[in-house]
Amino acid sequence: MTHYPKTGTWTTCVACGRHVHHSQWGPFRQCPYCKHWQRLTAQQRIDLLVDAASFQPLPMPERPVNALHFPAYDQKLARAQERTMSTEAVVTGVATIDQHPAVIAVMDSYFMMGTLNTVVTRRIVAASQVARKRRLPLILVTTSGGARMQEGDYALVGMNLVLAELARLAAVPLPLITVLTDPTMGGVSASFAFKGDVVVAEAGAKIGFAGARVIQQTMPVDLPADFQTAESLFEHGMLDAVVARPQLSQYLATVLASYDLKGDH
Amino acid sequence: MDERLKRLRAADRISAPTIIRALLPTMVRQRGDRLLGQDAALTAGFGQTATGQRLAVLGVDRGNDLASRRSKNGGALTVPGYRTALRVVQHAQKFGMPVVSLINMPGADASPVSERFGQSQAIADLIAATGQLPVPNLVIFLGEGHSGGALGFANANRIMMLDDALFNVASPEAVAAILHGQQTVSDAIDLLPMTATDLAERGLVDQVVSHETPKLVDTLISLIETQLQDLSQWDGLALIAQREAKFQHFLDTWPIN
Repeated sequence: MTHYPKTGTWTTCVACGRHVHHSQWGPFRQCPYCKHWQRLTAQQRIDLLVDAASFQPLPMPERPVNALHFPAYDQKLARAQERTMSTEAVVTGVATIDQHPAVIAVMDSYFMMGTLNTVVTRRIVAASQVARKRRLPLILVTTSGGARMQEGDYALVGMNLVLAELARLAAVPLPLITVLTDPTMGGVSASFAFKGDVVVAEAGAKIGFAGARVIQQTMPVDLPADFQTAESLFEHGMLDAVVARPQLSQYLATVLASYDLKGDH
Repeated sequence: MDERLKRLRAADRISAPTIIRALLPTMVRQRGDRLLGQDAALTAGFGQTATGQRLAVLGVDRGNDLASRRSKNGGALTVPGYRTALRVVQHAQKFGMPVVSLINMPGADASPVSERFGQSQAIADLIAATGQLPVPNLVIFLGEGHSGGALGFANANRIMMLDDALFNVASPEAVAAILHGQQTVSDAIDLLPMTATDLAERGLVDQVVSHETPKLVDTLISLIETQLQDLSQWDGLALIAQREAKFQHFLDTWPIN
């Protein structure tokens, strides 16, 4: 018996640095002091978005491999798997949102910053193939630092291979809804993130290609406070909507209802 | 700087405009995206080769002196550059012309203005469009080509590289940066398969040409014509399928655990 609280009882808000008790985060994981939305794991995201107990995971048998023997990649993968209890940076499945069925792929920023690699590419392509087979809309929830450098060009070609598959989804046509969450950057931003028929971002998300730090390394420039925020992208016409986390599920339900596809189960 | 990179980034490196002048002596230059502006790093247009083949070309170069390097942003394409390239590709599709890309470009243009005007979307649109082209396309890496920007041009039926050129998910500098300075930029080039021979062995690159080939420009032009001759037999759907299958096959060689 120890008088220390259980690990995870208190966590530090990454935005304001205050110590927050687990009960204070609430179901939507918002800091009670600075109102920052904590990043979610794929599982937390799924729990918030889809109808309770409706999520049926798709088969995700592949595991990442350090085929190029890139330094420290094995350790990073092991740490990511331990941290997220996931095998890779995306979780895919079929679920309903307010009774409307859809295929959903949710990326996980806690797994190597949600980077796009060979396994993530295969899983997203497979999810789209299921959507086509079952005539269901596809929802891609993005959060990513871009392509995973440790897999070289094998990660890069995920960008064009996912786009080629999404062209088939569009040809059916079936709706693609992309949900951009914090952060959506690099090769994911520059491939499928903005390819949705409807593109919605979660309030507070940072979205762009080259991040603020990279830009400031290149040129000494003062960036506006709202640089690459969902809110500024919305103002500039890049997004259909910015929706706060508690309303996101209802928003997606409205989008799905508007397409009114029942699917072939 | 690493000796290999120095050569690729040198002012006297063979460049897209030099080859394009010889390939299409009477090219109709296409400029501007009709919306935001134009990009000096992109040399693009269409015309006929000496043998009467109609072609569209997209060239990206870094500039060969201080003034041109500045106006071309060192070869880092900006949003109007990608959008102009997209317009050229769509025009080529309309008139059934093959598209030849010649590139030597660093990674992304890291700037607030490119972010503001949708660099992500411009790159995504170019990759998507080149992937679905029903006309043949090929790319030659004359120097470097990294990241999604280069992929917009490299999403092609044939990928050719000069033997000392590099094609990677990110620049060697960016690869070195994720290793927190434990490896030099030179080491970074050897950590990932990004050289022409490495990528040819792995099936991503179709043809490697020595940068020391005598009469390099003439040789490249004749290789372009040979490759396009091969592809001229294919119909649109077969070209789209071949392009995707080539990248899919490359991905499939990554082991499944």
